[in-house]
Amino acid sequence: MKLRRTFAATAAAALGATILAACGGGGGGTDTNSSGDTESAKGGTLTVLQHFPFESTDPQRIYYGVELSWFRRLLYRGLVAFPMDDSNEVVPDLATDTGTSSEGGKVWSFTLKDGVKWEDGSDITCEDVQYGTSRVFANDLIIGGPNYTLSYLSSLDYPGPYKATAKQQAAFDKAVSCSSDNKTITFHFDKPWADFPLAAASLMMTDPYKKSFDQGDKSKFKVLSNGPYKVEGGTWSKNKGATLVRNDEYDPSTDEPDKLRLALPDTIDYQIDPSDTAGELFNDRLIANAPADQTAITTARVAPSQFPKITGSVEDRYQNPESPYNDYLVPNFNRLKDVNVRQALAAALPLNDYVKALGGDRSATASETIVNPALDFPDNPAFADDADNDGDPDAAKALLEKAGVQTPYPIKLGYSKSPTMDKAMAVIKEGWDKAGFDVTLAPLTDTYYDVISKPDDDYDVTWAGWGADWPSAMTVLPPLFDGRPNISSTTCGNDYGCYDSDAFNKLVDQAAEATDVDEQKSILEDADKQLGEDVAYIPLEITKFNWLYGSKVTGFTTTAASSSYPEIGLIGVQQ
Amino acid sequence: MSDQKTPGSSRVGLGKRGASAPATGSGSGSFLEVRDLKVHFPTADGLVKATDGLSYTVERGKTLGIVGESGSGKSVSSSAIMGLHRGTRAQVSGEILLEGTDLLRLSNEEMRRARGKDVAMIFQDPLSAMHPYYTVGNQIAEAYLVHNDVSKKAARARTIEMLDRVGIPQPDRRVDDYPHQFSGGMRQRAMIAMGLINDPGLLIADEPTTALDVTVQAQILDLLQDLQREFNSGIIITHDLGVVAEMADDVLVMYAGRAVEIGTTNQIMTKPEMPYTWGLLASVPDLAGDPEEQLVPIKGNPPSLLDPPPGCAFSPRCRFKEHVSGDLCTTQLPELTSAAGATHVKRCHLTDSSVLKQEQPA
Amino acid sequence: MWAYAVRRAAIGVVLLVAVALVTFVLFFATAANPARLACGKNCSQQQIKVTEKALGYDQPLYVQFGTFMKGLVVGREFPADKEVRERNPELVTDCGPPCLGYSVNVGTTVNSLIVQAAPTTISLAVVALVMWLIGGVLFGILAAVYKGSFIDRGVVGLTLIAYAFPTFFIAVFFLKYVVIKWEILPYPGYVTIADGGVFTWFENLLLPSFTLALVFMAGYVRMTRAFVLESLGEDYIRTAKSKGLRTRPVLFKHALRAALTPLVTMAGLDFATLLGGAIITESVFAYPGLGLLTVQSSSSFDLPTIVGVVLVAAFFVIVLNILVDISYAFIDPRVRLG
Repeated sequence: MKLRRTFAATAAAALGATILAACGGGGGGTDTNSSGDTESAKGGTLTVLQHFPFESTDPQRIYYGVELSWFRRLLYRGLVAFPMDDSNEVVPDLATDTGTSSEGGKVWSFTLKDGVKWEDGSDITCEDVQYGTSRVFANDLIIGGPNYTLSYLSSLDYPGPYKATAKQQAAFDKAVSCSSDNKTITFHFDKPWADFPLAAASLMMTDPYKKSFDQGDKSKFKVLSNGPYKVEGGTWSKNKGATLVRNDEYDPSTDEPDKLRLALPDTIDYQIDPSDTAGELFNDRLIANAPADQTAITTARVAPSQFPKITGSVEDRYQNPESPYNDYLVPNFNRLKDVNVRQALAAALPLNDYVKALGGDRSATASETIVNPALDFPDNPAFADDADNDGDPDAAKALLEKAGVQTPYPIKLGYSKSPTMDKAMAVIKEGWDKAGFDVTLAPLTDTYYDVISKPDDDYDVTWAGWGADWPSAMTVLPPLFDGRPNISSTTCGNDYGCYDSDAFNKLVDQAAEATDVDEQKSILEDADKQLGEDVAYIPLEITKFNWLYGSKVTGFTTTAASSSYPEIGLIGVQQ
Repeated sequence: MSDQKTPGSSRVGLGKRGASAPATGSGSGSFLEVRDLKVHFPTADGLVKATDGLSYTVERGKTLGIVGESGSGKSVSSSAIMGLHRGTRAQVSGEILLEGTDLLRLSNEEMRRARGKDVAMIFQDPLSAMHPYYTVGNQIAEAYLVHNDVSKKAARARTIEMLDRVGIPQPDRRVDDYPHQFSGGMRQRAMIAMGLINDPGLLIADEPTTALDVTVQAQILDLLQDLQREFNSGIIITHDLGVVAEMADDVLVMYAGRAVEIGTTNQIMTKPEMPYTWGLLASVPDLAGDPEEQLVPIKGNPPSLLDPPPGCAFSPRCRFKEHVSGDLCTTQLPELTSAAGATHVKRCHLTDSSVLKQEQPA
Repeated sequence: MWAYAVRRAAIGVVLLVAVALVTFVLFFATAANPARLACGKNCSQQQIKVTEKALGYDQPLYVQFGTFMKGLVVGREFPADKEVRERNPELVTDCGPPCLGYSVNVGTTVNSLIVQAAPTTISLAVVALVMWLIGGVLFGILAAVYKGSFIDRGVVGLTLIAYAFPTFFIAVFFLKYVVIKWEILPYPGYVTIADGGVFTWFENLLLPSFTLALVFMAGYVRMTRAFVLESLGEDYIRTAKSKGLRTRPVLFKHALRAALTPLVTMAGLDFATLLGGAIITESVFAYPGLGLLTVQSSSSFDLPTIVGVVLVAAFFVIVLNILVDISYAFIDPRVRLG
């Protein structure tokens, strides 16, 4: 899901209508950005100006980053959750602890706290967690949510609760089992899952779901909350939003409000405007700061055309954090078979000028790896060593000479068309042309990723974007570069360059088998080095977010846990 | 209206030849007197002098025929009497005296009141002249209602009466028909009813039969003759000399915006003094005459009104030019001068019109 | 005339089937794999297959089309998988005839999506139609009557300006200045009459409808002007003047009546097109009508909704075409009785 959202963001950048979904978050790369005004004001109404519709509000279907992190604070508590800071440390939420693992990370157990309730007053039970987990397997009904659990329980051949035979259901209930007191859930995975708590905190695929509430597709926009708020009327309106009011059944004593959710406003008024121009207009309103908008925050980033207006008192209501998204270039391994040619491309890349073309410091930061700094991951030496990022045509020419190819070497560069991208890609073309390449720009529209993932496409290099699903490079490197699950006769999947390296795959397998997160991370660092040596990707930029908020909003902060979106769990309004 | 009629003026039936008083001159008895009427249209290409210094009179109770080719200015000058050029770019000057009142000096509102009541007009193509979306009765009654403060019912009764008078069968039923349900002849009868419903002092009929079948033409002409009692004076505009012969007391021949010959119908039909009139007559077949007789068409085309030829406008087409000494015809515009009789004037340099008779066919 | 209407309606039905078929074919001609899009990024080939089957995209095109046509006549039940329906009756969504299908994207029947969206679009279209007809006809007459004067030049000039700016630009201009900067009107958002009363409904419709009307108004000013001028040159206008009629009846009773005929045709067809959804206006103002539904369903490759919206739009166009033709009979007696 994320890759499509990132693509949409770029396509819409010209309008400032940026739809972005961060899937998960967390990690300690960025500093916490705080609005300085830390006085916590309880009560009042917070307005959320949202410029895109959610595809669903069913926890097992949600895959929008900001929706995951905000709903985690407001409506759906998880077994565990990330605290409202930049640490990578999950804390217990519905569960009493952050989970105990055994059998080398293959088995995970969580025990539910006493007194945790649904908004209808009923207790949250282990069966609810079991049922929620089982729904993800119904690819025919619960379509579109994150489904990592399927690959860790693939031996089950379980079709989900709606169609399973008694035998299949029994096998699932054994693999994801409840204790006799209906309090403790135990996951028996096929293989080790060292960072499972991170996944459970970020995504909602193991969140509880009350079976009697389930109406399949019909409950796509129904909300049964267990957090501090509930949806007035119980149904979310896709194109309008909803009003969140306090959930009386929520008991803060079962929670750690200071770490997980302050829940300051009495009411949260979600106003959705899915129009093309909504994002820019929302920010116009926040700049104008009319009384009705003084208690508002928005999901829409400030458009570069609005940057000049961010001065004086407006600047006091502005934050500019790095996002969890990285963009990169992918050499097509079916065409650029000589590593020297790929290295020449990397060497000649005028990254600083490219960042300027994107809108400068407020829009992007040059990156030395595909892994976002929020994941606390080291730079890739293959790209960091050239230091200045200005592009070195001479070094590139030397590499092309070494490769013994005829110059100018033709390159067809595919990217997702937008006015900003047209400008930025022209900068890359200029740099590469100087280094002995002959670049043809190929702007694409619509089904961009479907086109560039075709194994027989004739693009030599393509642009792409990615963000982690939870703070682990496991959700970056393997999905993008492991050829085995990705490459088939008709598509290279997310491995757009059709890169397939035994050395890399071996490291991925080792990382997957790792029993703890630190070990896993050091293996993935080696894997990233391998990618750098092969030039399987060329890092471009870390996208930066630009947020404005109303003058009566308090506690405005962005965290890694909130995917660099406003941390809604800390926000309050002055009355 | 009946009180406008002059009981003393005897209606001399139809097509009288030579029996009537002179049509020219400025006798105080004139019902309509047009003096030096000019209708000019400024266009992007220059000034079009559609009517240029036209003068004539229509005596009380008489019918004047205006004859000429298309573009000679006959319709334009008549529209000027109706005041139909008001509010357009046309520049109208001169005098149009209707019973001594200069219509050109009237305010727009006064002129509107006169239209349809004192002066009425019927048009060439009754299909396009009637609104396709309203019933015939509605359109006729409208003409009555605008000048008379009567109920719609009374107007409808008057309309049916008028339709009956112009010979529409079952008028009480046909009154609610739409124009397209009428035949061409019936439509023209309805137009005539519309023109006469307010008993106008002057009726102008602009080519009333041209768009009709020949058989229907005759019926309409018969009707007009019958109805000549209904209105005081008339102007019938036509290019058909047969119509003139039947309907008019006097004839005005127009060419290139000017009068070129005026006389009684008899004078014009039998003793044309102007080569153009002669040409018109020569180009009309005489059904009673020798079938072997050769028709003599007028060669060439009417002149451009934007850039009329110098001198006599007819000179480029005139076959009698050589009978005029020097290049008078192409340099000097001839004045209207007395021809054979006192009532007969012509605009021609030709002094000896006997040449016309010599060449006259038959 | 009834026989005529019936014949036209029958042709309309055939046309609708053809439109549906063409939409199906065009949809499957795109490169995208809707099942893969729906399933999400970590789906294996096998999971995508399951999703594909659930969405019905695994069937050959003619089978899918047949299922769709059958649903129109007898209705359908969702989810399509009978086994799931039987075992989980609480999941079943009943879609009675004429069933346009089921949007997995929104989780409801296409019929209910259209029923939700149509009032918005109809409100927008009706208010816009009234605005542009009043404005367009009035200014058109003015320009025609004062042809060549500064009034005429002013009106025609202004319409050219309105014509030159894209709807998108006008809409954004209104939002940025009239709403946000000058705060003349509240930020528009669709409110039903039932929710907010007629005034609020209208107040919220003002800007979007005016935006929509402006573009059409420009065309209607120019058309009205041309038609009135043409009509004023007709012989029957000369007749009307010759009767001594005052200026106003000449203009309104005689000239305008004739000029209105082509305007009614144009307005009917433009209105019909609008009923299918004013895509740009609805998108910019976020009015949840058929236009926004079109945009959202095509960007998420939601075939049933796309086909549904296209069919409804085509239905409006066909019906209004028939109505316009029948209305001729009332406007023009030559058609009625001829």
